[in-house]
Amino acid sequence: MKVTVDGTEIDLPAGTSAIDAVFSAGGDVPYFCAHKYLSPVGACRMCLVESGSPRRNPDGSFVMEGEGDAATPKVFWFPKPMASCTMQATEGMHIRSAKTSQVVAKAQAGMMEFTLLNHPLDCPTCDKGGACELQDRAFEYGYGASRFGFDRRHADKHYPLSDFVILDQERCIHCKRCVRYFEEVPGQEVLDFIERGGHTFIDTQEGGLPTGFSGNITDICPVGALLDNVARFRGRNWEYDHTPTTCTLCPVGCSITVDARNGRLERIVARENRDVNEAWICDAGRFGHVFASEERLTTPLIRDEDGQLVAATWDAAIDAMKRGFSGMRTADVALYLGADSTLEEGAALEALAAATGTRSVDHAPRYEVSVTAPQATLTDVATADAIVVIGADLGEEAPVLELRILEALRGGLIPPEFAHGTAIADLRLVERPARRPERLAVIGRESRLWAHAGHRVSADSQGALARLTHPDTDELRAVVALLDGAERPVIILGADVLSGAGGSFSANLTDLASRTGARVIAIPAAANSRGLAALNLVPRAGGLPVWRAQEAPAAFISRLDPGVRAAGFTVVHDTHLTATARLADVVLPAVTNYEKRGTVQNLEGRLLPLHPAAIQSGESADLIRTLSALAEALGVKAPARGLRGAQALLADHLGLDLSDLPARGALHTFRRTFAGPAAPHTPTLWTERMHARPLSWVDRIEELVHSDWQLPGAPAAPPARAGGSD
Amino acid sequence: MTYFETKQPLVADIFSRYPDSPQGRRSALMPLLREVQDAEGFVSESRMAEIAALCGTTATEVRSVMSFYSTYHTLPTGKYHLQVCSTLMCALAGADELWDHLVESLDVQPGEVSPDGRFSVQKVECLGSCGTAPVMQIGDDGYYENVGPGKCAQILESLRNDLQPLPDNPVPVTVGDDGRQVLATGQAVGSSVTGLHRLPGHAGGDA
Repeated sequence: MKVTVDGTEIDLPAGTSAIDAVFSAGGDVPYFCAHKYLSPVGACRMCLVESGSPRRNPDGSFVMEGEGDAATPKVFWFPKPMASCTMQATEGMHIRSAKTSQVVAKAQAGMMEFTLLNHPLDCPTCDKGGACELQDRAFEYGYGASRFGFDRRHADKHYPLSDFVILDQERCIHCKRCVRYFEEVPGQEVLDFIERGGHTFIDTQEGGLPTGFSGNITDICPVGALLDNVARFRGRNWEYDHTPTTCTLCPVGCSITVDARNGRLERIVARENRDVNEAWICDAGRFGHVFASEERLTTPLIRDEDGQLVAATWDAAIDAMKRGFSGMRTADVALYLGADSTLEEGAALEALAAATGTRSVDHAPRYEVSVTAPQATLTDVATADAIVVIGADLGEEAPVLELRILEALRGGLIPPEFAHGTAIADLRLVERPARRPERLAVIGRESRLWAHAGHRVSADSQGALARLTHPDTDELRAVVALLDGAERPVIILGADVLSGAGGSFSANLTDLASRTGARVIAIPAAANSRGLAALNLVPRAGGLPVWRAQEAPAAFISRLDPGVRAAGFTVVHDTHLTATARLADVVLPAVTNYEKRGTVQNLEGRLLPLHPAAIQSGESADLIRTLSALAEALGVKAPARGLRGAQALLADHLGLDLSDLPARGALHTFRRTFAGPAAPHTPTLWTERMHARPLSWVDRIEELVHSDWQLPGAPAAPPARAGGSD
Repeated sequence: MTYFETKQPLVADIFSRYPDSPQGRRSALMPLLREVQDAEGFVSESRMAEIAALCGTTATEVRSVMSFYSTYHTLPTGKYHLQVCSTLMCALAGADELWDHLVESLDVQPGEVSPDGRFSVQKVECLGSCGTAPVMQIGDDGYYENVGPGKCAQILESLRNDLQPLPDNPVPVTVGDDGRQVLATGQAVGSSVTGLHRLPGHAGGDA
């Protein structure tokens, strides 16, 4: 399909919208209401372009213009500018954007002036300032002045829609993105326009927004109307250090941007990753970050003469460990790590375990079973025509997976990708899409997903797989029929079926998958459980697993909180003073996953990179560096002293090259996995430390002062000189 | 108790007017709102939730639709809901004085109901009967035209005795073939306009 944009002819796939045609030609069109993953509605009228198409005579030939050989098909222009986000580009269409058309430039400037009539001029106090679509577009396409000399609309400027999201009704420009988001993405119709015309405002009648995915509306709001209440007034956009990284609160591995200011993590926003989270993240990932900057351990702690934990230097901690481990065999020290540690950290610990010869190595949480059925990707889920979820509470285990399932139920339409990125307006997406709940079956305990499922089977999840092989009720027969009749079925397994599964589980699953041609996602227990399973991080014969740590003669426990200490000398490496850390002999400060460089593997087997955000955490160290300190204390040579060394170990053992992982991650299947008996595990998304404490800003400043918080990197105040000249 | 619990035949009748699909059910929103408002004078939050459940939508959407129309009320109204036109023509003809008089003599403010439950007042935009300004509408019934002090007192007196006088003009306002509005008596209004005549026909296209 040939389309001419501002005089340049380009070739585009059929079905492309006019706005994407302009962007494909390297042009620009301002827009507020269109959004990559929402239906285009043409509400804001900013994306105006002039357009026209050739017309055909009744005999099929083009209506021509000009004489003889110079004749060209005549372009019939629309009499007025058109909204390009809701207009499909067609063969031979001509489009003029503001670059070449005075009409368009004037229409857009007029529209901008109209949009700004009721918009308050409070950019200096607005959190969106500096990253505001309205601000940018007003600068680029507006007149720069308003002729409106009257009072603006006045409405509630601090209207909390929930604990997390606060609405400034004056700033709203009625683009309807948030309303469409709730309708189309999580399928919860909880926001809508109230009143009409200039009085229109956004509100809910349900007594607040449902938690789960409400925070996404703060990302997509093109103005500062909907704001993240956890990060509100914490910094201006240009003051934040933006770090693109991966969320490791659950095994989905959403792409996020971590915004830190003055060494404190203040805000997390979603980052687009078409293969994983599209543009959405869950509320836990967005708002549950306060632990990264609250009550952190910043120095090692050792026991003093009175048995109290006191701050110490790393050298003192290493000396304390040397004393504690003296007389012990290195193989007596059990090594445990949390399953959201990176692959590099896991490789370093695996290598150290080999060097010390310990048999007690473990990571937690993990499941005993390993799944060998064909792996489904998240894109497979979103484009599946039948999905069976067994024993999973996705709200606790992998929230964004729920959104991808709902995407499949509304047709599995993934917007196409152009050179300028994901299509800005995919005309196949419509408001109030027809949903196909009959494509989703949920088996197990009741969860949020039940509301969207056509088949609901309340059953014991553990036996469900066996019963699906030989369905004994009409409900289960319907589920089997759904799988049999589907071309692209996906089975999703959650904690209720994976935790404690054994015996015939693998055989049943493989049988079901091969019989129905289904691909499988088994949700791992923690963010990197899947990746760490490729490393030998399970107890060797005679070794002690984490849940028997108290029997170990000595232990090193990294970012795990089993609540017990080893029989002998215990070293805990953690970000906070946990219950386990309080019992330890030496506590070493750890960095959170927001501050790490490394790699994790998500539930579909995608390797995703972590990048360190600029968060102040004192002398905290990641596991690789901490293990080199431990190795020194144990008197063995540290197998890896840094990230490069750990990546070299991975390259040696697994043939894995992590040095230049693409930002979107890369799918990888490890040939071998290690598994062993595991403790029962119930996933919970929110932990206590993730909740923000309701503090007034006065209290907050006071607390920062009392905790001796300082501007990081600020030079020490010079000593006061007598007789200063000022 | 819910409003529609005892009115299943009515509900079935309303739903029978629309396609039997999720989208069709949502279309029944307007007649259900009308039904509640006609019976109770306003639509309360619990009724919104009830209608939402009937239509298979959310109370938010019900409120959104309802708030779009200024003739749906979220606050209780009196037995006689007096709507005074406050747009330019009526304002020139004394609608403000009429309004002040109503508010004072009835002792109600917009959004309130008089203690006896009879009266509530509302300023409305143009009722489309500018020739007979000032105009007042009571409930859905019809227009009371040229409401001056005397006529106003007369209407209020009758309403206090629950004897609602017949409206001067049923809605919608009748406009004659010649484009002239007439009073209930048949007398043409708009005395300052003389010599109205038909525009030349457009049958010949752009001439």
